[in-house]
Amino acid sequence: MDVKHINPFIESFANVMPQLGFGSTRKGNLSVKGKELQSSGVIIIVGIVGEIKGNVVYSIGMEDAKKIASTMMMGMPVDELNEMAESAISELTNMLTANAATSFSGMGITIDISTPTLLYGEDISVKMSSNQVICIQLFADDIPMDINISFEK
Amino acid sequence: MEKIRIVIVDDSPFSIAFLRDILEENGYEVVGDAGTLDEVKEVIKAKKPALVTMDMTLPGTDGFECTRAIHEIDPSIKVIVVSSMMDDEIVNEAKKNKVSAYVQKPVDADELVTAITRVMASDELYTLLEAEAFSVFKEALLDGVNRMTKTLLTFKEEYSTNKEHKSEGLTVIIGIIGKFSGRMLIDLSKETVNNIAEALLKRDVKNNDEMLAAIAEFANIVAGNACSVLNRKDKSFGLRVAPPSILYGESVHISAPNFKTDTAVAETNFGEVMINVGFTKGEEKWM
Repeated sequence: MDVKHINPFIESFANVMPQLGFGSTRKGNLSVKGKELQSSGVIIIVGIVGEIKGNVVYSIGMEDAKKIASTMMMGMPVDELNEMAESAISELTNMLTANAATSFSGMGITIDISTPTLLYGEDISVKMSSNQVICIQLFADDIPMDINISFEK
Repeated sequence: MEKIRIVIVDDSPFSIAFLRDILEENGYEVVGDAGTLDEVKEVIKAKKPALVTMDMTLPGTDGFECTRAIHEIDPSIKVIVVSSMMDDEIVNEAKKNKVSAYVQKPVDADELVTAITRVMASDELYTLLEAEAFSVFKEALLDGVNRMTKTLLTFKEEYSTNKEHKSEGLTVIIGIIGKFSGRMLIDLSKETVNNIAEALLKRDVKNNDEMLAAIAEFANIVAGNACSVLNRKDKSFGLRVAPPSILYGESVHISAPNFKTDTAVAETNFGEVMINVGFTKGEEKWM
């Protein structure tokens, strides 16, 4: 997997988050993971087809997901991940992936994205289709979000 | 077929007459016109058109404000901007305001008719997909089980209400992308996965990886076959599947999506298999 395929996601995060009420964004660790991820909290999966095929898996801790949803809903308190908050988080990942898709098209790579599927729970194993998954941790107002990118080439 | 009902929004009587002639000559029904924001609201409420042609410059308002007012009344009404002005900024603004197409004045009849046909066809296409998709996926599941394991299944429960549910153990998610995007989700217990994997491999499953690979391929075949059938019904669906992702854990909850999905639970020789499929109309590709 090509590391330059990570940049559209970093750019998209820096672009989209401030529009949703977040003050600052920054980049955290970049790591390469195997085919299987372990995660707790909220997981959102978005499929990708086109010149690149694969999946993007967004992983957010439960408390962090509530904070993000609350900011997106203009500070409305989110005590539990209700339907409204789930919908906000799904929409966020849709925006992030769509924005990254636009960057890819700027690089001459056409991709289309599927609707997001949101799941949550503890100790979830996620098995991706490609052998290598690149994980980039990004922060919006110090709230972390893991973006796991699994592309088949 | 019923005529498509259209309202013309323009402040110039000449433009209204001109557009009316084009539309009526091409088999559309012009049910009203308006030149101000108040008139727009009134005529939309009274006439419930399927589509509106929208001028950009209007006294005391503009085409985008009127478009938002129309969508507040009924978000399903399609708006095509017909304006002499066309630059990147206006086109971007138009997209943001959920305008379906943009035609520049002076209006070319063919161009306008093409825009209307395309905008309305998308609606019909989605209706077709909504009507056909789920039965095609169910058929593909039945067919997949039958061809790969030589067994049958029966669907015992079916519903289209979106509710959150707890995974039985393992969930396979396949994103679907094309004219409309969506997803297929299969949920089943680990025991069922193991049974299916053994039936597919015709031997004992050696390890977890082998079991996951088998169910991934199985789901991939079901989704791929279903999409092929739908694409044959109308090639403009252009549906393709993303690679499967598998999630499993002790307590995984699958949230209810904010678009309509259909769910069925199949009783198979290997255990229960839940299949859930949905597509969003989403943002249409522009122009």
